[in-house]
Amino acid sequence: MKTTLAIALILLLTLWYLSFLATRLDRLHHRVETSWANLDGLLQRRSAIALQIAHSDFIDPASSLLLTSAAYQARDAEMQDRSSAEMALSGALKLLITDGEIHANTREQLLLDDLTKLTAKIVIAIAIHTDAVSSTQAVRKKFAIRVFRLAGRAPLPVTYEFEFDAL
Amino acid sequence: MLDKKLRIGIVCPYSWDTPGGVQNHIRDLAEYLINAGHSVSVLAPANDEADLPAYVVNAGKPISIPYNGAVARILFGPIAFARVRNWIGSGNFDILHLHEPAIPSISLLACWAADGPMVGTFHAAAKHQKVIYAIGPILEPAIEKLSARIAVSEAARQTLTNHLDTDAVVIPNGIYAKRYANGIRQDKWSGNTIGFIGRFEEPRKGLQVLLDALPIISRFAPDVKVFVAGPGDPEDVEKTIDPQLRHRFEFLGRISEEEKADFMSSVALYVAPNTGGESFGIILAEALAGGACVVASDIPAFDSLLGGGDFGALFESENSTELAKVIIDLLRDSEKRVELSRKGKEHAQIFDWDVVAEQIFSIYEMAMVGGEPIKLTSEGRSWNRLLSRDDR
Repeated sequence: MKTTLAIALILLLTLWYLSFLATRLDRLHHRVETSWANLDGLLQRRSAIALQIAHSDFIDPASSLLLTSAAYQARDAEMQDRSSAEMALSGALKLLITDGEIHANTREQLLLDDLTKLTAKIVIAIAIHTDAVSSTQAVRKKFAIRVFRLAGRAPLPVTYEFEFDAL
Repeated sequence: MLDKKLRIGIVCPYSWDTPGGVQNHIRDLAEYLINAGHSVSVLAPANDEADLPAYVVNAGKPISIPYNGAVARILFGPIAFARVRNWIGSGNFDILHLHEPAIPSISLLACWAADGPMVGTFHAAAKHQKVIYAIGPILEPAIEKLSARIAVSEAARQTLTNHLDTDAVVIPNGIYAKRYANGIRQDKWSGNTIGFIGRFEEPRKGLQVLLDALPIISRFAPDVKVFVAGPGDPEDVEKTIDPQLRHRFEFLGRISEEEKADFMSSVALYVAPNTGGESFGIILAEALAGGACVVASDIPAFDSLLGGGDFGALFESENSTELAKVIIDLLRDSEKRVELSRKGKEHAQIFDWDVVAEQIFSIYEMAMVGGEPIKLTSEGRSWNRLLSRDDR
């Protein structure tokens, strides 16, 4: 009788622990998704602004072409090419901003201000997303999670490679 | 920034009726957000319900435990947990902002109890947080629920990455920079004067370091005067001062915010010789905003606040000889003093609430992507979901 009780107790505890781990992992996956959605949204907004800048008058045709293609590439990139495409866009934008030739009028200055604000947000969004990804990766390495396949078919999240300095 | 009005829940781990940096920060933040049109509820332990502002909800009487070189008045336990759950359940919040969720407090309890967009702010910066180190594995599942983490300084961020293996965005504590910007120079405090503000009886505030430096300073600047402001009984401290130097000291007691602004623009130097346990150093931000030339110990929080020495002079912590040297140098070189205070005042604008609150709010927005409100964890648990399905 006693052993049955003990076994039942252990079984119950194990089940509780597994359900706890599963909830925890589920939450982490959710965090990865939402932080990615946030970052994705910001990046989309950035490419929209880049296109607006590319189509404005104060920019020379060559830079405009460069910026337009970078923005479209960033927008249409597949997931695995996304970070390199975004980095190319960062590079193009940086060239443009540091280029002393811009004599923007007020409307264009507003665009550039928007871009600066957005860039600051993107840096933070990347940090938040990276943190979510690395926490998830760490938890998914846990023995119980691998053995009992608690992650199900959810793909292992990968860190979004993005160079802060490029901005 | 604030186009959508939110319901924001903020949890303060420390007793609302004891003065402290975290409490002040939360008070200012809550009031700023309320002025911007949001509805804010702050959950905090308190001894006396009568004096609480309307937006504070009492979580119960705090207990005192020694923590981080001082006595922390915090609260936890089953009754507190029930209150926290109640507050979350009835609050209908869009977002929760938990302060110092890594210490056993109602912030941690809230982190356990809630599900949804949560932001945590980490204030403490300590080299050896043994407590956290020991309970780290237990904390991890709770801390990782936070959608975004904020550290108030580079030092606090270091502490977090070392002990909890997680990164944070650095957003400084806020001050109302304008309140300090227009202090009126008072003759009684100007000249070869040194200012100190703080609870001087606490050893970690470092008044003793300044006391030890004074014999050397007075040899080079015989007319130097030290003004000490802040709550406490000066008698015990006065006893330890060399009788020949005693008249160089003046204890002002507690001073008001307006007086503080005047004080900062009058004294030749503002000295912060703190020996540690400081997470941010809001007083330094206020001193800079008030246009004081700041001399501070090189503890991590101060070092990062003063930009490694760009916005104020640093000296090796607890080294009173070096402190004396730095003070004498600056007292003699008024040009350098003016230059430092000018740079400092400019730098202080980044601590203004208009900047800081906007940064915090943009973190809220990022955490809230997905649009789910705050729920109690228990509502989401699988067996509860199963049970409620059976009911139908």
